[in-house]
Amino acid sequence: MAKEVVFALNLAFALALFALAASATGWVARAPRIHRAAAAILAASWLALTAGLGLFWVRLGRPPLSNQYESLLALLWFVAPLALYFYRGSRRPEVPAAGALLSVLFFGGAALLDSTVRPLMPALRSNWLIIHVVSSMAAYAAFALAAAAAAWGLFRKEALEEDETELRLVKAGFAFLTLGIATGSVWAESAWGAYWSWDPKETWSLLTWLAYAAALHLRRSGWRGKKFALMLLACFALVMFTYFGVNFLLGGLHSYG
Amino acid sequence: MFNFLSSLRLFYAVCLALAAAFVYQTVFNRGAPVYAAPWFSALGVLLAVNIAACAGRRARTANLQFILVHAGLVLIILGAFASRAFRFEAQLPLRTGTETSLAQAGNALYRLPFSVKLQDFRLEYYREPSGVITVSEDKARREFAAVPGEVIKLPEYGAEIKVLRLLRDFGLSGKDKAADKSPYWHNPAAQLEIKTRGKARTFWFFVNFPGMHRGDLPFGVQYGLRDAEVKNFTSSLLITPAGAGAFTGEVSVNSPLRTGGYTLYQSSYDPADAGYSLLTVARDRGAWLVYLGFGTLLCGILLWLKK
Repeated sequence: MAKEVVFALNLAFALALFALAASATGWVARAPRIHRAAAAILAASWLALTAGLGLFWVRLGRPPLSNQYESLLALLWFVAPLALYFYRGSRRPEVPAAGALLSVLFFGGAALLDSTVRPLMPALRSNWLIIHVVSSMAAYAAFALAAAAAAWGLFRKEALEEDETELRLVKAGFAFLTLGIATGSVWAESAWGAYWSWDPKETWSLLTWLAYAAALHLRRSGWRGKKFALMLLACFALVMFTYFGVNFLLGGLHSYG
Repeated sequence: MFNFLSSLRLFYAVCLALAAAFVYQTVFNRGAPVYAAPWFSALGVLLAVNIAACAGRRARTANLQFILVHAGLVLIILGAFASRAFRFEAQLPLRTGTETSLAQAGNALYRLPFSVKLQDFRLEYYREPSGVITVSEDKARREFAAVPGEVIKLPEYGAEIKVLRLLRDFGLSGKDKAADKSPYWHNPAAQLEIKTRGKARTFWFFVNFPGMHRGDLPFGVQYGLRDAEVKNFTSSLLITPAGAGAFTGEVSVNSPLRTGGYTLYQSSYDPADAGYSLLTVARDRGAWLVYLGFGTLLCGILLWLKK
């Protein structure tokens, strides 16, 4: 990978670590000003990531979305904006903290993946690549933030009553996942000859979609606070299996990422 | 009965049953897929009925996004069943120059309402693959570009390697002479003359058989390939519908050809055979209903988000 891309991504990682450290400090010191600084550092991390991805795109001559490493960077790209948007609305300091923590974890995970640049295989050379992968990664990012906020709520019991942020994140994630599955189906028809082949990735994404649909309905039926938080964690486990588990443990047409 | 069919409890039960089926199928099942089983279809019907009943019960007081989302889902499931009932799919293995209207699905043959002739099959690489000669001993490795006629000097071994000939797809012609069997980089080989200790010997090295000649030489020599990524593969076809004029068209991955209600997809090729192309021909009368369902669902989701 080009040096300037590596530099920008490493800078984004480092700034995410700073943001996490600042959030932790703000929590220990109970200082809202430090939380606001943490949010600003997270925003700076996102800018570095955006620059890195932009340079990567230019260098590759194609969108960087072709393997697990590149798609994880796309997922990362949605984490900070979602966290900052919901921080602006809710003023809950754990939201940018969750964004920083997730960014650090995902950057760390990306460092373990194969980042070798390869040209796109014939099946991936399509305009559908961008919208399908981006909407799926946006969904995963929203679900990850919702799960992180839910986990924090479970850890600090009094935070559970206000789960409006988690609900809005899940709604956004659900909408993006629906778009991801729909665009994936249309693309599958032109690439593989059928809009649905019960490929493991397709099947698990449907399972994840059904799980979040059930979670949304259960919340309407009164499963709020702690119950909703636990559901979100269970659903996010399904997201992780759909994203990583299927690739590493099961086979299928979706072997790229 | 209607209360039961329109209940959320039924929805949760169906979700759990489907989840169990999916986990079993993807993780454990080694036999026939569960998706073809009657009980799985029954679950699908139950889900559609459940969603329709839920929507029907609340229809009078429901807002537009509720109707669109649930109607969209019902349409998708109906479309899936229509596909199951009315989908045709078969394989069209083609050789350059031959014409056929017969497609194969398992042991059955189907006559299509048009014939297909493969006029040309092209395999496109991103860039011209290049050969690389690696000389190694223990952990030390050096790489050299393989260029016919060039001499690679190895003073540390007192040796020289001369690249005599490079082939993309090594084969033996009628007179046992080495020649390219196809334009594909299927069995790349390099003929090298290696001079060591004053003696010159000629060997063929193959990309696909890196262990050859180990022991024949005081150092390791391997022939490898770089930049051999395939960009696309395309079939040029002449299609003659029954009772109509012939026309030409191309099919490649992500670029199917639609004719007379059928769609031809470029499925695969044979790296060992430049004249072979595998197409899939399909006709799905239920797909439009599924896409209508997706569109309806997405409209409903968008309105639901905006609320």
